[in-house]
Amino acid sequence: MLMVKNPFRNKTRAILAIIGISIGIATIVALGMVTGGLQNSTQNTLKAGSAEISVTKIGSGSFGSSGGTLDESLVEDLKNISGVKDTAGILRVNANISTTSGGGFGPMGGLYLSGISRNKLNMVGIDSINGSFYTENDSKEIIIGKTAAGNLNKTVGSTINIYGTDFKVTGIFETGNFIQDGGAYVSLSTLQNLTSNQDKVSSIAVKVDPDANSSQVSQSIQNAYPNDLSATTAADQANRINQSLGAIDTASWAISLLAIIIGGVGVINTMIMSVYERTREIGVLKAVGWKNKRILGMILGESIVLTLVAAVVGVIMGIIAVEIILNFMPSSDSFTPLLTLDTLLKAFAVAFLVGVIGGLYPAYRASRLAPTEALRYE
Amino acid sequence: MSEENIIEIHNLKKNYDKGNIKALNGIDLKIKRGEFISIMGPSGSGKSTLLNMIGALDRAEEGSIKVADIDLMEKTDLSEFRSQEIGFVFQMHNLIPNLTVLENVEIPMYEGKLNSEQMRERALELLEAVGLREKAETNPTKLSGGERQRVAIARALVNHPSIILADEPTGALDSKTGDIILKLLKDLHNKEHVTLVMVTHEPYVAKMADRILNVFDGKIKSSS
Ligand SMILES: Nc1ncnc2c1ncn2[C@@H]1O[C@H](COP(=O)(O)OP(=O)(O)OP(=O)(O)O)[C@@H](O)[C@H]1O
Ligand SMILES: [Mg+2]
Repeated sequence: MLMVKNPFRNKTRAILAIIGISIGIATIVALGMVTGGLQNSTQNTLKAGSAEISVTKIGSGSFGSSGGTLDESLVEDLKNISGVKDTAGILRVNANISTTSGGGFGPMGGLYLSGISRNKLNMVGIDSINGSFYTENDSKEIIIGKTAAGNLNKTVGSTINIYGTDFKVTGIFETGNFIQDGGAYVSLSTLQNLTSNQDKVSSIAVKVDPDANSSQVSQSIQNAYPNDLSATTAADQANRINQSLGAIDTASWAISLLAIIIGGVGVINTMIMSVYERTREIGVLKAVGWKNKRILGMILGESIVLTLVAAVVGVIMGIIAVEIILNFMPSSDSFTPLLTLDTLLKAFAVAFLVGVIGGLYPAYRASRLAPTEALRYE
Repeated sequence: MSEENIIEIHNLKKNYDKGNIKALNGIDLKIKRGEFISIMGPSGSGKSTLLNMIGALDRAEEGSIKVADIDLMEKTDLSEFRSQEIGFVFQMHNLIPNLTVLENVEIPMYEGKLNSEQMRERALELLEAVGLREKAETNPTKLSGGERQRVAIARALVNHPSIILADEPTGALDSKTGDIILKLLKDLHNKEHVTLVMVTHEPYVAKMADRILNVFDGKIKSSS
């Protein structure tokens, strides 16, 4: 009873302490939601059916829309390398589009457009669609990702004008990968003709045999074309992303530590003041027979109640902060933050720890007060 | 220790300020079970210190003190003794302002074995006895000084103590309210057969007791 009522006797002080701690908790939650969201989408990149290896011209990035192009003949050639099950040529461009209605802008002013054979779509993680896939042979049909559809305000049946040509949206797909879902696909030959890249591709997706090792296959590809090709496995890519996620995670732990220290000092201060003001009352509790242990437990409990309330406030603040920040970022629709149970547990564990650390010393002091001194206290 | 005496004190000495203040300077005292004792004496003579020693709120340096068959010079955990044998009533009521009247009366029972239902029942019983049952859910800050002191008396009695120690219980009240408190204490003393030790500055209040002790410079000067 006392444990729940006491922390809020001095409201201003309680609110200040809660704000202090909850800012730390909010930061932990916000960073946790960002890493959680990114982790979630990298996991989706690695889903079954997609290609394990991406091959590009040496020296260009793995998403190679700006790098050099490869001869389309290589797509067939690579199939001869042992361990390779299937290959697909992909042409990628960052297309400028003009929207016919409304003033909506695409992500970064363009649309991430890829050309791939209709029957190879499963190799880029697209195996189901809302609507229908495009037909081959220079059709003026396009499928777009769910987030791109939202950004451009397009539905099945709408048209999109790309490089002066109207394309009809036949379907909308969702892979869970925020880069994919912000883009669009047309048939390879269509895009090649449209961009005068006949018989060129910017990357080749490679699917390996079920019993082959993708890093070995990736190595064999590079060995076969040492001066031309660079091959990256999906696992490599995921690792690279995980490394940057790891950096955010480290930052998040550092902030947690900072929150524990700053919050702990704040709680010690708040609780010492509160014990000091209640010296006489603690004397009375001892006079009526309360054991030192019970007084220690009461003060410690008050401190933990305070920090757990701060944790609830902090979690809410963190969620709101992420929502607000994403709302002001134009390309944010392609990224969904994710509040995982882990993050939530971490936030509450940190708050609990701050409560214990911050409450221990004041509680000890209260429990050691001499009752006669405490009762004489004015 | 005889069955008769609930308090037996011999040559008790208590110093403060590293021995510069001899608050108790050789107290000899025997109090019978069920007695009503008044303690008088000038300010600073050691009356409160004596009550604190009996209530085991502090330890003496020298001498012997036995209360309810317990040697207070020897016993290590005094909190249990305080909760079972002693009920304190202070000059200032010392209620906890953010708890209700009922919760204040329940506080001494936290160390006991009663469940919350039984605690509530017992607390209400005592609030009834001091005539404040209908104020059970009120906040103590909304009560008058006399009412607060009645709550403090209920709190002191809630664990069935054998001794009530009252340090100037009417000192902060006007005489009319003070009389109500005194009558309540005397009635409870008669009804419950508790031993009552009360410090007071008012001779007419002291006269209500079975015996008056006069304390002077940390010693008992006379007893009548
Ligand atoms: N905790 C303490 N620390 C230092 N000195 C103390 C302490 N408690 C009591 N004293 C001193 O011991 C002496 C006796 O004090 P005590 O409170 O027993 O007097 P009292 O008879 O109750 O006086 P009053 O009528 O004013 O309440 C005083 O000189 C007082 O200053
Ligand atoms: Mg006194």
